Amino acid sequence: MKILLIEDEKELAKSTIDYLQSNDIICEHAGDVKSAISKVASYDYDCVLLDLMLPDGDGFRILAELKKLEKTDGIIITSAKDTLDTRLEGLKLGADDFLTKPFHLSELLARIQALVRRKQFNGKNLVRFNEIEVDVLSKTVKANGKSIDVTKKEIDLLLYLIGNNNKVLSKAALAEHLSGDMADMLDNHGFIYAHIKNLKKKLSDAGCNDYIKTVYGLGYKWQG
Amino acid sequence: MRKKLLNKTLRIYVLFSILILIISAPVFYFLTESLYIDDANEALLLRKNEFIKYSVPAMKLSDIDVWNKVNRDIKIEQPTIKLTKDSVFYKFYLDTLANENEPYRVLLTPVIIDNNLYHLKARINLVESEDLIKNIALLFFIILALLLTGLFFITKRLSSRLWEPFYAVLYQIEQFEIDKTTPTKSIETSIEEFYRLSTSINHLIERNTQIYQGQREFVENAAHELQTPLAVFQAQIEMFMQHPDLTTDQAEILTKLTDSSARLNRLNKNLLLLSKIENSQFVDKEKLSLNKVIEKQLDFFTEQAEEKNISIKKEINSETIVFSNPALTDILISNLLLNAIRHNIQDGQVIVTLNQNNLIVSNTGAGQAISADKLFQRFAKTNPSSKGSGLGLSIVKRISDLNNWTVQYSFDKDFHSFTVKF
Repeated sequence: MKILLIEDEKELAKSTIDYLQSNDIICEHAGDVKSAISKVASYDYDCVLLDLMLPDGDGFRILAELKKLEKTDGIIITSAKDTLDTRLEGLKLGADDFLTKPFHLSELLARIQALVRRKQFNGKNLVRFNEIEVDVLSKTVKANGKSIDVTKKEIDLLLYLIGNNNKVLSKAALAEHLSGDMADMLDNHGFIYAHIKNLKKKLSDAGCNDYIKTVYGLGYKWQG
Repeated sequence: MRKKLLNKTLRIYVLFSILILIISAPVFYFLTESLYIDDANEALLLRKNEFIKYSVPAMKLSDIDVWNKVNRDIKIEQPTIKLTKDSVFYKFYLDTLANENEPYRVLLTPVIIDNNLYHLKARINLVESEDLIKNIALLFFIILALLLTGLFFITKRLSSRLWEPFYAVLYQIEQFEIDKTTPTKSIETSIEEFYRLSTSINHLIERNTQIYQGQREFVENAAHELQTPLAVFQAQIEMFMQHPDLTTDQAEILTKLTDSSARLNRLNKNLLLLSKIENSQFVDKEKLSLNKVIEKQLDFFTEQAEEKNISIKKEINSETIVFSNPALTDILISNLLLNAIRHNIQDGQVIVTLNQNNLIVSNTGAGQAISADKLFQRFAKTNPSSKGSGLGLSIVKRISDLNNWTVQYSFDKDFHSFTVKF
């Protein structure tokens, strides 16, 4: 998978690139509108991560350029500016998703994977990890060919863990991912423990390996 | 008790007028009377002198009876008392025509007629003079009363006209709300003091509004500017977390860091939200079913409540429709529910009551009431160690204000309740 990160904040760009590359994603970087436009004009990307406030102009210009070039790259806007107008403007210009800064890198990765899966959709939307198979559309999980009865939240959690394979995920990141719009309110991550416990039990009952590891008090990790 | 400025001046004015009237009427009466008595005395003296000069030399003893018969007001009498000089006094005589006693001014003086001592008694009826004095006093009283009442009403009208710009300025100040941008207009007046008052108050309002706007923008900009470094901070922590040789100590530090960064993030988002509300970025309103909003959120909060084994009870009968901004209504309800769960006790209870007029969120919690005065202020946390942002309730208040709803806190039978009245 190849993506383009358009971000002027060097440290943030570096962390993002490091995180994505360790998940086998080829990541290119552009720090301003000019270099971003020349890159999107020359190459195709599976996904473009777009910051809106760039030193030499508005990120919307890149969106307009992509539209003009009739590119089908998936676009995720990653911006600190989060108003209804910005969102609407972004969607109107062809953005697929909107992630407000600050965000968790694990969340960004999950969003990229979800977007790319949607874009490459060919009748099926399956995520496989060894003996586990998740059908994202029908929201079903199979282990060793047998269906497991899981809740919507548990599938969500499973996809997030698998997507961030071998990464330590903080409870905060998991909690925010699971609570969606309510994430801003959240100050208690206790409920994550219950979900993890249930998921672990269901997977081991179905004969799966124990992939979910606890990392001290910090969080959890999907270790394949 | 407070009185209007105008009434205060007029009251003093009226009191003064009444005092003047009360004092001046008798003073005037007695003064006129004494003047008239002087006049009467002089007239009597003149008659006496005329009598002595013209009548006495020609008069004989036999003429006395005739004189007394003809003259009613100057009589010659046998001396009954010893008299050496003029004596003037009041005396009442019976008026046989009107059959009543009437006051007279009487002069008694010794005269020598034909070498015999007689007393001359001259008198003047004072009845007419009394009437005159009374009439004059009355007239004076009426004129004065007219003058004073006239002045009173003129002053009243004039004052209220004069003070008009003052009341206009007063109204302007009363109507002023710093978070609502109403344009100030200066008041037209030819009076210098009021003009100065009006312009300086307008100046004050403008400056305050400017400062307030500046503050608002500052909060929004600051919150905005913080987002990027926060993003860097969070990303760095996440990268650090991926380090393969993490020790327990390091993991512990990282846990604290992630918690803090999440808290910073939440605080920042709430600040940003608050300033967005205040900058009227949520103006679109629509008809909403509160029941649906509550239902939608209860799943999430039921999950949140599980940890403390809190039961959530609904007392909702019919559907309640409100006219409000959907995003803000979501936030209002989630803040109230979160508050009810966060400050709850183990095995506690939350009751959500909804009817056409109110939404009440009650919860068990600390055993005593919280002081309500600071509750809705920013960062006014009753429990400093609480993980809350300290902004939740002030956001609830702002949203309620925006919809002209009221929100109140009460404590009754171990339940803390927040009531939103539509």
